Amino acid sequence: MRTSRTLGLVMIAPAAIMIFLFFLMPVMLTAIFAMTNMSTATGISGGAWQVTQGAINRLKTDMPELATGIAEPRFVIDEEGLAALEGLKLKAGFTTELRASHMGEVFPSRREAERVIKALKDRPSTREVKQISDLFNRSVLNTRFETRDDLMASLKKLGFTLTPAEQETVSKATYTGWVWTAENFRILANSPDMAQIFLNTAFYVSVTLLLFNVTYALFLAITTHYMPASTASVFRAIWLLPRITPVVIYVLLWKWLTWDSGFISMFMGQFGYPPKNYLLDSAYNAWFFVILINGFIGASMGMLVFSSAIKAIPQTQFHASEVDGASRWQQVRHIILPQLRWPILFVTCYQTLSLLASFNEILLSTRGGPGKATEVWSLAAFHTALNNYTGNLEYGLGAAMALVLVVVGIVLSLIYLRIFRYDTLISKPLIED
Amino acid sequence: MTVLPILKSATLAAVLFASTAVFASAKDVTISVWSGGSGPNDNYRTDAFDIAADILEREAAIRGEQLNIIVQKTPYSGWEDFKQALTLAAEAKKAPNIVATGHEDIGPWAQAGLIVPVENFVDLDSWPISDIYPNLMEITSFNGAVYGIPQDAESRPMFFWKPYMKAIGYTDADIEALPAKVEKGEYTLKNVLEDAKKMQDKGLVQAGYGFYPRNSNGPDYWQFYTSFGGVMEEEGKLVFDKAAMKRTYQYFADLVKAGVTKKNHIGMPGDQWWKEVATGKAGIWHGGTWHYARLVNQEGLKNFFDNVQFTLIPAGEGGKANTLTHPLAYLLMAGHTDEETRIAADLIKIASEPRINALHAIKSAHLGISPSETKVDLYAGDRWASEATERLLPHANAMPNNADFGKYWTIMWKNLEASWTGAKTVDAAINDAETELKSTLGAAIIIR
Repeated sequence: MRTSRTLGLVMIAPAAIMIFLFFLMPVMLTAIFAMTNMSTATGISGGAWQVTQGAINRLKTDMPELATGIAEPRFVIDEEGLAALEGLKLKAGFTTELRASHMGEVFPSRREAERVIKALKDRPSTREVKQISDLFNRSVLNTRFETRDDLMASLKKLGFTLTPAEQETVSKATYTGWVWTAENFRILANSPDMAQIFLNTAFYVSVTLLLFNVTYALFLAITTHYMPASTASVFRAIWLLPRITPVVIYVLLWKWLTWDSGFISMFMGQFGYPPKNYLLDSAYNAWFFVILINGFIGASMGMLVFSSAIKAIPQTQFHASEVDGASRWQQVRHIILPQLRWPILFVTCYQTLSLLASFNEILLSTRGGPGKATEVWSLAAFHTALNNYTGNLEYGLGAAMALVLVVVGIVLSLIYLRIFRYDTLISKPLIED
Repeated sequence: MTVLPILKSATLAAVLFASTAVFASAKDVTISVWSGGSGPNDNYRTDAFDIAADILEREAAIRGEQLNIIVQKTPYSGWEDFKQALTLAAEAKKAPNIVATGHEDIGPWAQAGLIVPVENFVDLDSWPISDIYPNLMEITSFNGAVYGIPQDAESRPMFFWKPYMKAIGYTDADIEALPAKVEKGEYTLKNVLEDAKKMQDKGLVQAGYGFYPRNSNGPDYWQFYTSFGGVMEEEGKLVFDKAAMKRTYQYFADLVKAGVTKKNHIGMPGDQWWKEVATGKAGIWHGGTWHYARLVNQEGLKNFFDNVQFTLIPAGEGGKANTLTHPLAYLLMAGHTDEETRIAADLIKIASEPRINALHAIKSAHLGISPSETKVDLYAGDRWASEATERLLPHANAMPNNADFGKYWTIMWKNLEASWTGAKTVDAAINDAETELKSTLGAAIIIR
C-alpha cells in the first residue's frame, strides 16, 4: 500500500514540478511585482541614491537648508584632491602645477574645472581630465551612490550631519529605484478607463463564448453528426482552418477583407459606396470583426470536443429512440445534450480562461482601437507593462492588472464547477484501496 | 643537465610573454549600436559608425596602437518593439554600447541607471561637439548633465497640396505667401478646417481626406496643444493646461464633425497613408521634414515643390504658430567596461562630424545638428534642407526631458483618441485625463 502511494507521488512529480514552475512561480512573481511601482524609470533590479534637481525640489519643503546647500555643483582645488591625484600616479607635473597656480580655486561647474585641468602644461588626455576632475568634486549633485551609506558619508563630508529621521527623508527623496506600494490597485479601482476596459473584457468574453465557442460549436458538432461521414469530415476540416492557419496570416486575411482597399470596400464600391475601413469604422464594426475573428477559431475546438463526445454515445440509444419515433430535436434534447454536460463544462471553462488571457488576435487586427474601443484587459496589461509608443513600461501596474486576471479566472472556474455540479460528474470508485 | 631544462622553460616563458605583449596591443573591440524608428532612408544612423570606426582605427594606428573595432548594427523600424527590446535587454545586462533614440527617453533611462552621461567620456569643448547648436545640446541634457549627443534635428510642418489650394481660389502668390501668413498668425487652424471643407465640397478630395493627420500617436499632437496655447513643462514641472487641451481635443472632434477628417483615421495602415498623401488623395496634412525623403524616394512623388507647400503648424485660439523638433540622440548605455564606453564615446564624436552627419541629414531629409554642417556642399546644395531649416527650425519647441513625461503623454493621447473617435465627449475626456493625471502623477504635474 505504501509503495503504491509513493509511486503515485513519483508519478505526479513531473507534473507537480511543471505546475510549480510554469503556473505558481509566474503567479507569485506577478503578485510580487504588483505590489511595487516598478517602471522603466525605476528599473527592475533596484536603484541608487542620486541628488537630482527633482530630489532637491522634493527636499525644499522639509529641509530647505540642506536643499540649498547641495543644489549647486562645486569643484574645489584643495589639498585633499591633490593628495588623491598623487595617488593616481599620473604625470607629476599635474599636481605640481595645480598646487602652484590653482590652489583654492572654486568652480561652479565641472566644465569650468575641466577647462583649467585641460590647459595644464602636460596636456592630460580626455580620460585623465575626467579622472582628475572627479577628485576635486566637492558636491553630491548628480552623483550616483550605489548605497545609502555612501550618500550619507558624502553629505557628512560636506558638513551635513543628519539625524536618523532626516536621513530617512533624504534617502526617500533621492532613491531612484522602486518601492513597495499598494497604489496600483487604487489606480485600477479608481480609473474610469480601467472600468471601461473591464466592461469591454466582460462583453468580449461572454459574447464570443456564448455565440461561438459553445453554441456555434455545438451546432456544428450536432449538424455534422447527422451528416454522412465523408461530408462531415470535409465540413469539420473547413472549420479547422482558422485554428491551423498561423494567426498572423489568418488575421491578415481578415484585414484584406475589411481594409479601405479590401474586398468589402471593393464590393460595396460596385453599389456606389465610398471605400472605408470596415474593421475600424466604428466601435460596433470593430467588435463585430473581433468577435468573428476569435469566434471562428474558438468554434473549431468546441466542435472537435463535442463531436467526439457525441461519437462516444452508444449508437443503440439513437436506434432505440428512432424506433420509438423520436424526432431529431428530441434526440438532441434527450440523448445528446444530457451526455454532453461534462464536455460543455470543460469547453466553457477552458475557453473562458483562454479568451480572458489571449489578446494576439485583437493586437494584430485592431490593436485595441478605434480609440481603445476593443482594448481588453490582457491587451491593456500588455500595453501597460511591455509595449507602448512612449516606452514608458509600467511593470508594477501591468502586473497588478495581470493579477486581477488570475483572480477573475480562478473565481469564474469555481463558479462554473458549482453551476455544472462537478461533484455529480465524477463518480466515486467502487473499489476502495 | 639541470641548466638546459631551466633554460628551455625560461626561453619558452619569454616567448610566451612576448607574444602576449603583441596580442595585448592588438585589440578587438565589439561596439554594438541600436537605433529606433529607422526606416530605409535612416541607415546612416548606424552606418555612420562604420566610417567612424575606420577613422578611429587609423588614428590609433598612427599612435602605434592596433585597434580593431567590430561594429554590430541593429536598426529597428518602429518604436514600440525597439523600446521594449532595449529596456528589457538593458535590465538583463545585455544592452548595446550605443543607442540612437528620442531625447525624451533620457529622463527615465537616466533615473534607472540604464545610460551614463556622455559628458563623463567626451570633452564638450572639443570639436565637433562644441559646434553643435546649443539648444540641441540643451535637449539632450538632464539634471544638469549632458547625457547624449544630438544625432539629428527635424521639424514637423503642415503640408498643403498646391493644385487643390489653387482650385479653391488661392493664387500662386497667395500660396507663396502662406508660410509668412501662418507665421504671423493670420492663417490659423480654423482656416485649415475651412479650406479642407472647401476642397471636399468641390469634390477635389473624398470625404475624410480634407485634413489628413498622422495615422498614429506621435509627438506631432503636442504641436496642436502648443497651437492652442498649452505648455508642456515649466521649471521642471509638467503642466496640464485644461483649457488649451480642451481646445485641442475639441479641434479634432470638430474636424470629424465637419467630415474633413475620418473618425477611424487613427490605426489605419501606414502604407496606405503614405500612398494617399503622395498621390494627392489628401488636401492638407501634417508630418515631418523626413517625409520629404520618403515621398520622393519611396512613394514616387517626383515634382514635390510643384505640388506641395509647407508651413509651420498654424496657430489656434490662444496660441501661436509652432513646430516641434524631436531630435534623436546617441546615448551611451551602462554596463560596459570603461574602455569600451570610451571607444563608443569616441565613435559618437566622430560620427557627429559635419560631413558624416550630413549623409544622414540629406538622405533622410532630417536637419543638421551644427552650423558648419549647413556649409557642407551636400547639405547646402539641397533645396529641402535649406528651406526647411530656415522656415521651421527657429520656431521649434521640443518635448521636455522629464522622467514622468511618458505617463503624461500616454494619458493625453488616450483621451485625445477617445474624443476623436467619439468614444468619449470632449468634456468627459478632459475630466478623465485630469483624474488620471492627478492619481498617477500627483504633485509632479501642475493642473490649471
